[in-house]
Amino acid sequence: MRRTAPVVTAFVAGVLVTISFFFNEQKTLIGSVQTEILNWVTIIFGFALTLGVVSITRVNFNKIKRRQEGWFYSLLVLVSVFIMAIPSILSSSWSPLFGRAEGSIYDWIWVRFSEPMMATMFAMLAFYIASAAYRAFRARSAEATLLLVTALLVMLWRIPMGEWLLKQMHTSLPDWINVYVMNGFNLAVQRGIIIGAALGAASMSLRIILGIERTYMGKG
Amino acid sequence: MGFWDKIAAIDRRWIYLLCAIAVVIPFIVPVSLPVYTTPETQQVYDTIEALPDSSVVMLTYDYYPSTLAETEPMSRAALHHLFSKDIKVVTISNIPLGGPTIAERVTRDMAARYDKEYGVDYVNLGYKANYVAVMKGMGTAITNIFPTDNSGTRLSELPLMQDVKNYEDIDFIFIVADNATADYWVAIVNSQYGVPMCCGATAVMAPKMYAMVGSGQLQGLLGGMKGAAEYEQLVGHPDRALRGMDAQSLIHLLIIALVILGNVGYFLGGRQRREMGQL
Amino acid sequence: MTTYSVFELWIMAFVTLAIFSFLYKDNPVYRLVESIFAGLSAGYYVGLVWDTVILQQVVTPIETDGEWWLLLPAVLGFLLFSRLTRKYSWMSRVPLAFVIGATSGIYLTSQLQGLVLPQIRTTFLAQPVPGGSTDPGMMIALSSIVVIGVISTLIYFYFSHEHKGALGVTAKVGIWFIMISFGAHFGYTVMARVSLLIGRVQFLVEDWIGAMTGG
Repeated sequence: MRRTAPVVTAFVAGVLVTISFFFNEQKTLIGSVQTEILNWVTIIFGFALTLGVVSITRVNFNKIKRRQEGWFYSLLVLVSVFIMAIPSILSSSWSPLFGRAEGSIYDWIWVRFSEPMMATMFAMLAFYIASAAYRAFRARSAEATLLLVTALLVMLWRIPMGEWLLKQMHTSLPDWINVYVMNGFNLAVQRGIIIGAALGAASMSLRIILGIERTYMGKG
Repeated sequence: MGFWDKIAAIDRRWIYLLCAIAVVIPFIVPVSLPVYTTPETQQVYDTIEALPDSSVVMLTYDYYPSTLAETEPMSRAALHHLFSKDIKVVTISNIPLGGPTIAERVTRDMAARYDKEYGVDYVNLGYKANYVAVMKGMGTAITNIFPTDNSGTRLSELPLMQDVKNYEDIDFIFIVADNATADYWVAIVNSQYGVPMCCGATAVMAPKMYAMVGSGQLQGLLGGMKGAAEYEQLVGHPDRALRGMDAQSLIHLLIIALVILGNVGYFLGGRQRREMGQL
Repeated sequence: MTTYSVFELWIMAFVTLAIFSFLYKDNPVYRLVESIFAGLSAGYYVGLVWDTVILQQVVTPIETDGEWWLLLPAVLGFLLFSRLTRKYSWMSRVPLAFVIGATSGIYLTSQLQGLVLPQIRTTFLAQPVPGGSTDPGMMIALSSIVVIGVISTLIYFYFSHEHKGALGVTAKVGIWFIMISFGAHFGYTVMARVSLLIGRVQFLVEDWIGAMTGG
């Protein structure tokens, strides 16, 4: 029962959605059923987003309770969760500070704190990639040389100063990079990867619908 | 340790410092080199330009705050283009962490500049979970997935949404994305519902999207900050992306120089070690 | 751009510089803002799900249209939390299977119809030259590169048969194509990361310092 019910559920939901693809969604019963299924999917999956919140709260709460090393940072995590969450679930009809709209505590904190923090965390990757390029990007073989030369050419081509330099070598050089490198070699390889990955995704989907692939259920 | 080995073993923080200097200097001393437009960006501009006034365009905010530097200029330039042509805009975000907030902030700010009225000229649908189900579910009726807009107002109360029931009423989709959602807009919405679309993608994603431009599934591509800069220039509103191009130039040249230096060190260092009998 | 008060700009600059401080070395200020960031992100999800899922997708349709059956997906969604317990975690399987099954149904058709078929079909058509050039030489060269590249990439990546003979030669060609494409990808990745740094420096120089100096 614990394993059969999910397999049957996945099969029924998957088959209904797949079959409805071949019918007019707006004028058939199966189209209406599919529409309702998809609405349910968005609702159920929405709850899944908060699973991590419960988990992070529990882990940090335990850390504080046991006074583990760095418990102060765990306290900060918890305080931040509640500062953000509590005003957002209170009704905006009580105060414009509540809810999610512009002017609310939730929106104010997110835009002033979280957006710059997240953007900066990813901005640091520029330093790491520069350092890695200096240390590890080596022309050790013919293949690696080809990769390196293409990378340098594309880096030049994608900047105004580089485009100008390339034009000094040959006026059509930037166009050739766009046509042959990006829309030729690159396009061909990306297309090969897309075709292969899409075939893989489709076959995996079929395995899930047919109940062959069950790893999503976990153990037990 | 030979000279080249010392160069190779330099503390990474010196490289960080060089990068920081290279990115700051152009903002203090701007050069403003001309930015050439690539055919893919021109195609985006021409396609939007060819849309009749009062068309309805869906603009997606499928990006996290982490890539705002690349993607927000694309969204802003797109809204300049769309609002100046009096095109109606319906926005959506498939990103849970920050997406709907960015959509509200940017769209309302741009709409205010063009005196656009919420509900009449534009609507923010907001976010719903599981983007493939969202994209497919809107095929029959947008209200299936979005009973209300992002603020909780029922779609039936918004005048614009009286005329926009599903993809049949959407003339074009302008994707701005930093992740795989772009693939699914193409695979689900373009292929099954025939809605034409273009994509503003982060530079990490852009190489893949060339395959979809080549297959005609996308009507143009904005690739990274350079693509955004080209588009800003085309719509006549030079902004952050265009101003960032000087810094982009200098830091690329720095990284190219670092790669060359690293390779010179690698080969000469090897020779030096051989001569010193270490190899 | 959205306009911010000087106080707000200082907050944004502080968190930006605090995170950049990690580049020098790990430090308490970095860990402080990192913890705040983790907490705020988790809190963001709570507000988002409460409003967009519970209120907008369940409560509003029930209240205004009497769609009481939407309580069922809400209950199923709630069952997902059983995953956090050892004893009852099996109860989360049905809602999970429902989501995964339906999503697989979308994938199955869309991957084949939306990606595989159009990508294969256009590979064997004449490739339009970007920029509108009608030079037949360019068109033939580009089309040949695309056909050879797609076939050799597929053979290199997806044929598990030993790469010997004709298959080996094609796979070798595939490697050369892949190296060029990955090189282009690396160039673009550098560009992406640099752009994100430019965004933050632009904020610090133009917005924050600009506001202080009146520039």
